[in-house]
Amino acid sequence: MKRQKRFEKLEKRPVHLDGFVKRWDDEGLVAMMGKNDPKPSIKIENGVVTELDGKTQDEFDLIDQYIAKYGINLENAEKVMNMDSLKLANMLCDPNVPRSEIVQLTTAMTPAKAEEVISKLNFAEMIMATQKMRPRRTPATQCHITNTLDNPVELAADAAEAARRGFPEQETTTAVARYAPMNAISIMVGSQTGRPGVITQCSVEEADELSLGMRGFTAYAETISVYGTDRVFTDGDDTPWSKGFLASCYASRGLKMRFTSGAGSEVMMGYTEGKSMLYLEARCIFITKASGVQGLQNGGVSCIGIPGAVAGGIREVLGENLLCMMLDIECASGNDQAFSHSDIRRTERLLGQFIAGTDYISSGYAAEENKDNTFAGSNMDVLDYDDYVTMERDLAVNGGIYPIEEDEAIMIRNKAAKAIQAVFESLGLPPITDEEVEAATYASNSDDMPKRDMVQDMKAAQDLMARGITVVDIIKALDEHGFDDVADAVTHLAQQKVCGDYLQTSAIFDGNWNCISAINDTNDYKGPGTGYRVWEDEETWNKIQDVPWALDPKKTDF
Amino acid sequence: MSEVDELVSKILTQIKDDDSSNGSGSNLSTPTSSNGAELGRNDYPLYQKHPEKIKSPTGKPLDDITVKNIASGKVDSKDMRITPDTLRMQGEIAKNAGRPAIQKNFQRAAELTKIPDDRLLEMYNSLRPYRSSKQELLDISSELKNKYNAPVCAGWFEEAADFYEKNKKLKGDN
Repeated sequence: MKRQKRFEKLEKRPVHLDGFVKRWDDEGLVAMMGKNDPKPSIKIENGVVTELDGKTQDEFDLIDQYIAKYGINLENAEKVMNMDSLKLANMLCDPNVPRSEIVQLTTAMTPAKAEEVISKLNFAEMIMATQKMRPRRTPATQCHITNTLDNPVELAADAAEAARRGFPEQETTTAVARYAPMNAISIMVGSQTGRPGVITQCSVEEADELSLGMRGFTAYAETISVYGTDRVFTDGDDTPWSKGFLASCYASRGLKMRFTSGAGSEVMMGYTEGKSMLYLEARCIFITKASGVQGLQNGGVSCIGIPGAVAGGIREVLGENLLCMMLDIECASGNDQAFSHSDIRRTERLLGQFIAGTDYISSGYAAEENKDNTFAGSNMDVLDYDDYVTMERDLAVNGGIYPIEEDEAIMIRNKAAKAIQAVFESLGLPPITDEEVEAATYASNSDDMPKRDMVQDMKAAQDLMARGITVVDIIKALDEHGFDDVADAVTHLAQQKVCGDYLQTSAIFDGNWNCISAINDTNDYKGPGTGYRVWEDEETWNKIQDVPWALDPKKTDF
Repeated sequence: MSEVDELVSKILTQIKDDDSSNGSGSNLSTPTSSNGAELGRNDYPLYQKHPEKIKSPTGKPLDDITVKNIASGKVDSKDMRITPDTLRMQGEIAKNAGRPAIQKNFQRAAELTKIPDDRLLEMYNSLRPYRSSKQELLDISSELKNKYNAPVCAGWFEEAADFYEKNKKLKGDN
C-alpha cells in the first residue's frame, strides 16, 4: 500500500510505543462489568452470610469466605442490596449527601454491588465523588527514593530534598536485595534531616520488611499485596488469613501499614477466572476492609499497563480508587509505575486523582530521575517537578508538591549527606568520603556519584542486621556527631510508634509532629465553599503561587 | 514509688485480662480510661490530648523518650514499643469514629505485643499457603492461647486451620 504521509507521521508519535488490546472478557481483559462478572446478591441467615454474589456458602473460596465473615457491614446489607445502584451512584456525587451518611451504605455492599455502582459514573462524576469521599480533608502525595547503585549518600540527599518539597511519606526499595537495611536507614536519616515528621518505608519481601520495621529502620509498610482470585493470592504466597495476621503484626509494633492491590495483577499472573478488573479489585478492597487495615495502595499500581491497554481502563483506575474511599479506607492512588511513552497520556493518567485530591495522589512519584527509579520508573519524576508545580498553580490545586529554591536544596542535600556520613562512621559501616558528600549535594542522578565498593557495602548491610543494630544506635550516632535536630527528629518518630496515633486512617505528620488523619482532619466536603481549598490554606498556596520562576512586579523595572 | 504503683496496677490489669480471656474469649469493649468511658474522636491525638495515658512497655512515660536518655542508656529499644493498653485506646478511637474493623485488628495486635519478633515472624510464615498441617496450625493456636494469653489470635489460627482444610491450603495440598 502506498503510505499516506499523515498516517506515517502519526505512527511515529510516542503513543504508538504504548500497548493496546481489544476487549477479551474470558481472559479478564475488560475494565468493568465483564460478561462473566456475577450479579450482586447476599443471603444472611442467623447473622451468617450464606450466599454472596451468586455463590452459595459451599462454593465459597477463601476470599469469599473472608469477605463474608469480616468484610461487610451486615446490619445494612439487605437494605443496600435492594437499593437501585443508579440511586447510590447519584448519592455519591451529590454534594448534599454527606460522606458520613453514604459510608453507612457503601460499607454494606457486596463486591459485585460496589462494582455496579461505580460503573454508573462517568469520569467527571468520579472526580466529584472522589473529592467528597477521600477520608483525609487535606490531600497529599508520596514519593519513591531509590537509585540503581543503592548509593546511600545520594539516597539521603534525595530524601532530604523530597521532604522539603512536601512529601510526607517516602518509599525506597533496592536494586540489590541485600542492601535493604542500609537503604532504609539512609532515607530515614535523610528525610528527618529534610523535614521532621516524614515517615519512610522499604519495600522488600514481606517477612524482611516487617523485621526492618521491628528494628525501627522504617515507620510504615505498604507493599503487602492482596489479589482478587484465590489462585493468584496463593501464587503470591499468602492467604487472606496470613495477610490479616501480618497486618496485626505491624500494628503490634506500632507501625502504620496499608495493603496494595490494583487492576491488572490477576491478568499479569494468569488467573482472572474470566472476571473484569474492577470486580476483582473490588474483592481486594473488601479483603482490606475485612482485615481492619486502615489503608490501601491501588489504582493499577505496578500493573498499570494492563488497565491502560483496554478501553475505559483509566476510568476504571479512578473508579477503584473511589471504591477504596467508599469503604472508608485511606487511598494511595497509584500514579506510580511508568505507563506511557506519551507525555500527554502521562498527564491524562494523573488528572482524575490530581484534580479531585486523594490521600496520596501518587503512591510513588519518582523523587529521583527515572533512570534511577528501581521500581521500574514512575509516571512522573524529578525532572517533571516544575511542570507539576505549574499545574498546581494553574488550576489552584494542592497536588502535594511545593517548589523550593536552589540554594535551599543545596543546603539540605549537603546536611543530609553529612548526617548519613556521621551515622556510617559511628555504626562502623564503610566510610562515606567528603568527596561523596560534595557529589551528592550537587548530583542529579547516580552517574554524578563516585563509585562505592558495592561488595563491602552489601557485606556491611548484612553485618549490621547480624550485630543487632537498631534505631537507638542511629540516634546515638547522630547525637555524638552534633546532629542534634536530626537525632531529635528520629527520636520523635520512635516516640510516635509508642503512641500509635498514626495507626489511624490516612495519618501523616506535619513538621511539628502533629498527626493529621481522617480522625481529626475529616473530609467535610459538601459542595462549593466547603472542604479543602488550597487558597484557604495560606502557607501552602503562597508556596505554590510564588514559584521562583514567576516574574515579581515589585522587583522589575518597566 | 510511682514505678511500684505502676507495676502493681499492670499486674492487676494482667490478672483481669487473664480472667476475661477464660470466659467468652472476647474482651473487645474493655474500657481503658480511668473513668470507664471509651475514648473517641475528641481524645485524639493521644500524643497531644492524653500523653499521660501512654506508657512504654517498661512503664516509662512518653516524655522519657529523649535523645539524652537514649544517649545515656536510660532508655533503650525495648522502651520504644507500643503497649496493649495504647492499642486498646487507639482501637476505641477507631471504633467510635466508625471503623470497628480497625479495632478488631488492634485487638489482635494487642495480643501479639508479647510475642518475640522471631517467633512472630515464624507464626506469620506458618499461615502462608501449604506451609503447615492442620495439627501444626492448631498447635500454634494452643500456644497463642496458653503461652501468650492471646485468645483472639488463637481463634484466628483455629479458623484458618478449618478453612485451609476445606479449601486445600494445608501442607501437601499443592
